[in-house]
Amino acid sequence: MENSAKQKITEDLLPQKFGKQGKIWVAFLLILCIIGFIAYCRQLSKGLIVTSMRDYVSWGIYISNFVFFVAISLVGSLITAVLRLTNVEWSTPLTRIAEIISVAAITFAAIIIVVDMGRPDRFYNLFIHGRLQSPIIWDVIVITTYFFISILLLYFPLLPDLQILLRFKEKTGNGLNKLYKFLGSFWKNTPAQIKISNKAISILCITIIPIAFAIHTVTSWLFATTYRPGWDSTNFGAYFISGAFLVGAGGVVVAMYVFRKHYKLEKYITEDHFDKMGKVLVMLALLYLYFNINEFLVPAFKMKKSEKEHLIGLFTGEFAVVFWFAITTAMILPILILILKKGRKPFPAFIAGTLVVIGSWVKRYLIVTPTLLHPFLPMQDVPNEYRHYFPSWEEWAIAIGSLAGALLIITLFARIFPIIPIHETITETEEHEKA
Amino acid sequence: MNTNDKSRREFITAGLLASLAVAGCSTKNNPFEPDAIDSIKPSGKMVKLLSVDGKVIEVDEAFLKPVPNLPAVSNDAARVGISGKKFVMVIDLSRCKSLKKCQSACDHMHHIHPGENWIKVYPMQDSEHTAPYWQPTTCMHCDEPPCVKVCPVDATFKRKDGIVLIDSDRCIGCRFCMAACPYSTRVFNWEDPGLPKEIAEQPYSCETSMPQKKGTVGKCDFCPDMARKGELPHCVSACPNGTFFFGDLLEDSVTNGAETFRFSDLIKDKAGYQLMEDLGTKPSVYYLPPVNRNFPFENNEQKEDKKS
Amino acid sequence: MKKHNHLFITLLLSCISVAVIAQDAKNDLSLTLSYFNNNNQVQYLVAHAKSKIDGRFQMIPGINVSFFITNDSSGNLLGKSVTNDKGEAFLLIPPTAKEQWNKSAKQTFVVVSQASKLYDETKASSDITKAKVKIDTTDDRKITATVLELKDTAWVPAKGVDLKIAIKRLDGDLNVNETQTFTTDSTGSITAEFKRDSIPGDINGNITLIAKVEDNDTYGNLSTEKIVPWGSKFQYVSNFDERTLFARRGKFPIWLGVIAYSIIIVVWGILISLIFDIVKIKKLGQEV
Repeated sequence: MENSAKQKITEDLLPQKFGKQGKIWVAFLLILCIIGFIAYCRQLSKGLIVTSMRDYVSWGIYISNFVFFVAISLVGSLITAVLRLTNVEWSTPLTRIAEIISVAAITFAAIIIVVDMGRPDRFYNLFIHGRLQSPIIWDVIVITTYFFISILLLYFPLLPDLQILLRFKEKTGNGLNKLYKFLGSFWKNTPAQIKISNKAISILCITIIPIAFAIHTVTSWLFATTYRPGWDSTNFGAYFISGAFLVGAGGVVVAMYVFRKHYKLEKYITEDHFDKMGKVLVMLALLYLYFNINEFLVPAFKMKKSEKEHLIGLFTGEFAVVFWFAITTAMILPILILILKKGRKPFPAFIAGTLVVIGSWVKRYLIVTPTLLHPFLPMQDVPNEYRHYFPSWEEWAIAIGSLAGALLIITLFARIFPIIPIHETITETEEHEKA
Repeated sequence: MNTNDKSRREFITAGLLASLAVAGCSTKNNPFEPDAIDSIKPSGKMVKLLSVDGKVIEVDEAFLKPVPNLPAVSNDAARVGISGKKFVMVIDLSRCKSLKKCQSACDHMHHIHPGENWIKVYPMQDSEHTAPYWQPTTCMHCDEPPCVKVCPVDATFKRKDGIVLIDSDRCIGCRFCMAACPYSTRVFNWEDPGLPKEIAEQPYSCETSMPQKKGTVGKCDFCPDMARKGELPHCVSACPNGTFFFGDLLEDSVTNGAETFRFSDLIKDKAGYQLMEDLGTKPSVYYLPPVNRNFPFENNEQKEDKKS
Repeated sequence: MKKHNHLFITLLLSCISVAVIAQDAKNDLSLTLSYFNNNNQVQYLVAHAKSKIDGRFQMIPGINVSFFITNDSSGNLLGKSVTNDKGEAFLLIPPTAKEQWNKSAKQTFVVVSQASKLYDETKASSDITKAKVKIDTTDDRKITATVLELKDTAWVPAKGVDLKIAIKRLDGDLNVNETQTFTTDSTGSITAEFKRDSIPGDINGNITLIAKVEDNDTYGNLSTEKIVPWGSKFQYVSNFDERTLFARRGKFPIWLGVIAYSIIIVVWGILISLIFDIVKIKKLGQEV
């Protein structure tokens, strides 16, 4: 391949400085994070009373946010690992996007869970007094493990790109250059190094898949190991994982579109990518729809006394609007859009992806709260406010702040590192030309 | 029904003093099985008394004083519990009139934050044609407690004597136990409980569940501090109708202070049952069905709710 | 001068009247005194302080009371105590009562509560005749309890006394059969049949029987105990030390430990070897 072609690819994919839009976006996210932080300080001083959670709805949108983050973080294993292992080449430009979404999401999953704790000052108790019998301890173990695997899966493929980045000191600036040196100046692209690195990446890809399954299955067990209607289901592991793949894929489509438009990467994230991801998204949405049907229709057929109120509440009662909104936006509409060839063009796909993400967030809320409002024994002998739940401003601020924080990590990462692997793109283009 | 508070109280204290006095005077062992942690040790200090036949006798002081000032048991001892006992409670639903004296006594003695009752009295009606009744609901102290299974830091634990307690010094406030409990019996300190200074500054004792702390979970604890003194939990003593019975399954006896029954006979004769035992939690609280009610079921709260 | 005197007297009178009015606002304290005799050995007095507040009787803690024998002259003071949060004050009868106690079979005890801001000085007394309860048992599980009272110097049967015969349990006493209360006959005795078969006792099967006279107007409260081997042997099985899902920290089921730890060791072993791979790559890079 000609050097000038290589140079073009490299220059296209180098991380770019923030333009005006970029700066406004970062400032906006920072403000949301700061508001969230202020709300958290209030929560630390006054206690969880600043939320709307009370004795019945003892888990609220912090936990649904946690589940949402864990769900989205599975995208790393899907796009990066599964597609890599199956030698699907069109996924190469998307692997780093998927991986950083994964890392950002899992980081904030850990943060939001600490936010939800009544006594975060006793966090260390989890390690010195941890009980192996508790699903929370299993969750702590798998989340930590998954975080490390994801970081490594981000790091190894980054090494060749670091070598490239080090050549462009004038463009990247002194500060970032120092960072690149610290992270990977030892990478010389020798065959020996490449061999070790490729092997490592393969091992990581294989290992991450069961861990990704474990992380979301264990998170689903936080609910499935209780007796409550809506949670007492054997279906939960598979139901959660299929939902996770769906929202992860939706997130990737959204990110693809934004990066493509903003960094002018039309040659690398092509319309074909949207077409293929669109198809993947349709399949995942149909799969999730299948699990939803199992999850709701089967208990509805039986209408057990303990589950009846819960199901009616979801289908036609106080949660009906939210429930049908979630089903429509997360599954029905995206399927309808993406099943058409025209729907798989970049912009419609982006809309479908956004709908998936929003609908999935609302779906996670529906998993957590309605069940808690239908306990076995009547909600009596408690103050009236215990019988309802609508998040307070502090909860919204913190939840939105955590989402903003995750987006901030992704945005800043794209500023520092090439969001599309440069070295792999060059290598693949070369191989295409040979073929 | 014996509603004479004075006589019941004196009965209990007399029984206590008698047992302690006998413990000092005879060679019978301490009522609690000889356990290094539990037995009352002779203090060595002898007290002179006038005996009934007009002679002066000496008895060790430790066996005579009622023991309200027992030093709080250590955290390790509180986690093990009282050996040789298995506490159970029987609630007679035909006697409950929703006076909620149990609730106010429990709230008062444990300095519970208002709105966070550990005992809740529910108006129940199992289905359309079945009898309505009031159901006082405490923690069931299950023998297979779902709350204990899920606690990540061993902050809630089951003891030898069957009681499930909470260590508010260890609780991280994750509220998984609250999600896991099917009886909705656990409450959470969403804010600072607002205790008087002297109580808030005391070191936390698992057995009194005091002082309650912000950001931790609380629940009925079967008053193990009272059991160590040989006294009944506060709810049992507070009910004027004698609805609550408390005792030791291994002694096969439960009492509400005034009346004592053989536990196995009581449950068999009155068809006692447990709440939601099909979930496999093995609760330690038994209910006697509301047969031959002492008074008709009246739900004034519902009427008031409808008005407002 | 005279004018000042008038003023002074008026002031004094008004002060007194105010004081009188203030005194009238005091609540009435209801004091009761009970005598207890356990096992014919230990005897003590219990004073109970109650007051009607807002139409309901409440126990009053913190009242200083003094106990006396025979009458409330200072030479007959037995001891002082303060009522606890249940409104009760206890006093074990001390050796100083010996002289008065040995004078006659009929005794009087007096309790006086100290006057305070809220309550006037209140007195209560209790007259008792010395009495004792005996328990005898036969091998075929029949219990005979006798109440004897002291007449001058002789013990004579006490007729028509209500008795309870029970088995001592943790917080209460379980009747030996369906009869709640027995009444002594002309010989001062009652017989009861032990019907609580296989009631759990201690490790050797011993249980403690108790015969109680409660709140008797003449005799006060009497009780006697006897240990008999009529219970079933106590068997204690606890799953506290078993490995279960609900056990304490280190007591997880073996299968759980094996699965969890093997997964952790394998996966983290892989991750650590990958860290070493990075070190290897670094070394290779530095050689070139």
